[in-house]
Amino acid sequence: MSAFLTYLLNGLAVGCAIALIASGLVAIHRVTGVVNFAQGTFAVVAGLCTSSLLGLGFPHGLSELAAVLAAAVAGLLTGLAAIGKRGTTPLSALIVTLGAGVLAYAVEIVLWGDQPRSAPGLAGSVTVAGARIQTQHLLVIGVTAATFVLLALFFGRTYLGKALTACASNPYAARVVGIDVRKMGLLAFTLGGLLGGIAGVLVTPLRPISFDTDVTLIVNGFAAAVFGALTRPVITLIGALLLGVAETMAAGYGYGSHQLEVALGLMLVVMIVQASRRSAISLEST
Amino acid sequence: MIRLVAGLLIAAVTLALPAVLDDSALAVYILLGLAAMVTVGVSLLMGYAGQVSLGQGAFYAIGAYTAALLALNGVPPLAGLVAAPVVAALSALVIGTPLLRLRGHHLAFATLAMQLILLSLAGQLEFTGGDIGLQAIPQFSIGSFEATGAATYAYLTWAGLALVMLVTRNVITSRPGRALRALATSETAAASSGIPVGRYKLVVFALSAAFAGLAGGIYCFYTGYVAPGSFPVLISIQYIVMAVVGGLGTIWGAVVGASAITLLLQALNTLGALPGMPTYAPSVLSYAVYALVLIVVVLFLPQGLLPAVTDRLSRKRQSTPVETR
Amino acid sequence: MIDVKDLVVSYGTATALEHVTLAVRGGEMVALLGPNGAGKSTLANTLAGLLKPSSGTVDAGGRVALIPEGRQLFPDLTVADNLALGGWRSGQRDPSLVYDLLPRLAELAGRRAGVLSGGEQQMVAFGRAMMSRPDVLVVDELSLGLAPNVTADLAAHLAALNAEQGLTVLLIEQNARLAFELCRRAYVLESGRLVTEGECAVLADDPRVASAYLGGAIT
Repeated sequence: MSAFLTYLLNGLAVGCAIALIASGLVAIHRVTGVVNFAQGTFAVVAGLCTSSLLGLGFPHGLSELAAVLAAAVAGLLTGLAAIGKRGTTPLSALIVTLGAGVLAYAVEIVLWGDQPRSAPGLAGSVTVAGARIQTQHLLVIGVTAATFVLLALFFGRTYLGKALTACASNPYAARVVGIDVRKMGLLAFTLGGLLGGIAGVLVTPLRPISFDTDVTLIVNGFAAAVFGALTRPVITLIGALLLGVAETMAAGYGYGSHQLEVALGLMLVVMIVQASRRSAISLEST
Repeated sequence: MIRLVAGLLIAAVTLALPAVLDDSALAVYILLGLAAMVTVGVSLLMGYAGQVSLGQGAFYAIGAYTAALLALNGVPPLAGLVAAPVVAALSALVIGTPLLRLRGHHLAFATLAMQLILLSLAGQLEFTGGDIGLQAIPQFSIGSFEATGAATYAYLTWAGLALVMLVTRNVITSRPGRALRALATSETAAASSGIPVGRYKLVVFALSAAFAGLAGGIYCFYTGYVAPGSFPVLISIQYIVMAVVGGLGTIWGAVVGASAITLLLQALNTLGALPGMPTYAPSVLSYAVYALVLIVVVLFLPQGLLPAVTDRLSRKRQSTPVETR
Repeated sequence: MIDVKDLVVSYGTATALEHVTLAVRGGEMVALLGPNGAGKSTLANTLAGLLKPSSGTVDAGGRVALIPEGRQLFPDLTVADNLALGGWRSGQRDPSLVYDLLPRLAELAGRRAGVLSGGEQQMVAFGRAMMSRPDVLVVDELSLGLAPNVTADLAAHLAALNAEQGLTVLLIEQNARLAFELCRRAYVLESGRLVTEGECAVLADDPRVASAYLGGAIT
């Protein structure tokens, strides 16, 4: 029972990191229609930055903040490449973000080498109902919860957040009232970088990150985002938590080597079910 | 007339090259041909069926493992080489039936997932040799003739590429091929004009898988071993880069794209390995160039290199729309 | 106020507007008539700055607000949020400005725009346009798909704004009867070209205009 609780909480922590990456994907997709393949890259950039800054003796807090900002800048740059030019279709933009991710490999290897790097997080563990939980896991869950609350407030309460929603809701109308949809798209990419960066900073103390960790991160993030059809943040969060728990349980109960297959298989099934439901609806409507 | 002369010239050069190249140059020549074979399929899939596959490396791997396993179990290599594209195509039919319901970025991620699952399985299963893979694969042979030199593999590769190009040409010029052209631009329009969209897409998917499978089969005999590490995700991205650079939906474009990228990477590798360069230089250079070429071509030469050049030559310019966004 | 000279707008190879010249004085309310596909919405979008002229000039000497064809609200947002976003250009974020003008909107403030009736949506679109404190209002198909009494209500608001605050209005309509009621002057656009213009009273007697726009086709 206590093992179960440990796996559950560890799984939730993993799911939280996936949720942050997935919410970045959703934010960008909603506003621009682009699926950002470089979303995992932002987490890698932030993770590697943290490890370097801490290694150089900068204090906790400042290091993490600077790393997240670096990821936000990476997000903005990716956005400029993906949607900066007029008339780039979403699928072309996907391929451009793919290119941006590969370009980041080159930069990352020059700066950090090709070996995995870690960073110290919160040390120690607490015991909850007989289950031992690493403090860092609790930190991940807490920060993610706070981030999601802030996101909800940003989109629901602020003028800028509403303008972003407006671009997602009706891009033509957004232009009619004078909103620069492309600038909002760049803002969404920056926000995506920020969210990816938070994920990277939180995860690096738990599992070491190297330049090519982005593939696992983006695939998991995309799998979670697919639950919410790439547009619905709350369902994405639930999907991410489910995914994290399922993967951790699989690992905990001895199917560790099949973690990735669990995530990918789940993603394929969800996508195919959604696609067949969509085609059923479109058949009915014709 | 000019086309015939050009064709004969290209054929002559292609046939003459293996005789004059040394072994390390031949290795590049063979890998170039194999990459071109896969890229023709990717280009067909992207240009004619309008679908992006981020998992074409999976079919390359399936072909390689099929030929390797058969050869290691005493099946004549020729049968193994024939089986490689067949098994790859059959896998594509099975995988594609549910997967091709997906479109756009969904399909891109699904195919990527497919390759990751396959690599993970190949790395864990016993009969595929796990992470170490399969070693000591016999040389390719037909009857008593055994392919020992690299030159023989070069001829085999380019014969395979010629076959792939011929098949693709016939597919494109056939009536279904012209219907496919419509598919790439608008699936709904194609469907409403009575084209069996789903079946055509599946056939193109299987065909592109068969090309990759054939390349994989030749690859395993040439190198003598296969392992999951030979088929990273990046290899699938590489085929997309090659197809995009050459121009989607053009046969010669795919060959030009594959040649340009392979030779470019080769040059970068040589450059990166020069004394005084840091050890990471080759990989950094190739990543950077891959990425920049991909981004620049997608944004500024969306038709690809070859059509852009031929268009310039024949002075066919389209007027650009003035709508602002 | 609106000064359009020799305007040509094309999409790729297709030309939507060919050498259109028209002018609306400050405080004037002028109608633009024409059948579907005549290029009316292209002109509206060009006036609003959403399309670039291929040649010719568009000068609107002030802030232009557009009530686009089909309302084009943000269906996921509330009425209040739709209105607030209407003030993106003017910096006017408090919708109470238009609640004075259109009191019905205050009652709808908390509703999602997507669930409103056509008339209510048109009123939100009207209010949203007014939030930008425009000098010129371009109304693309005010009456389309609305019941006559709803149209009359909106038209009365429009006429009041024009008369009392001197708002310049270009009313793009298929419904010539409504246009002739509200405006003194009108232009007629067909296949991207202006075919005639003049006082509404005169146009209404023109047999060609009468048969095309005042016949049975009027909704």
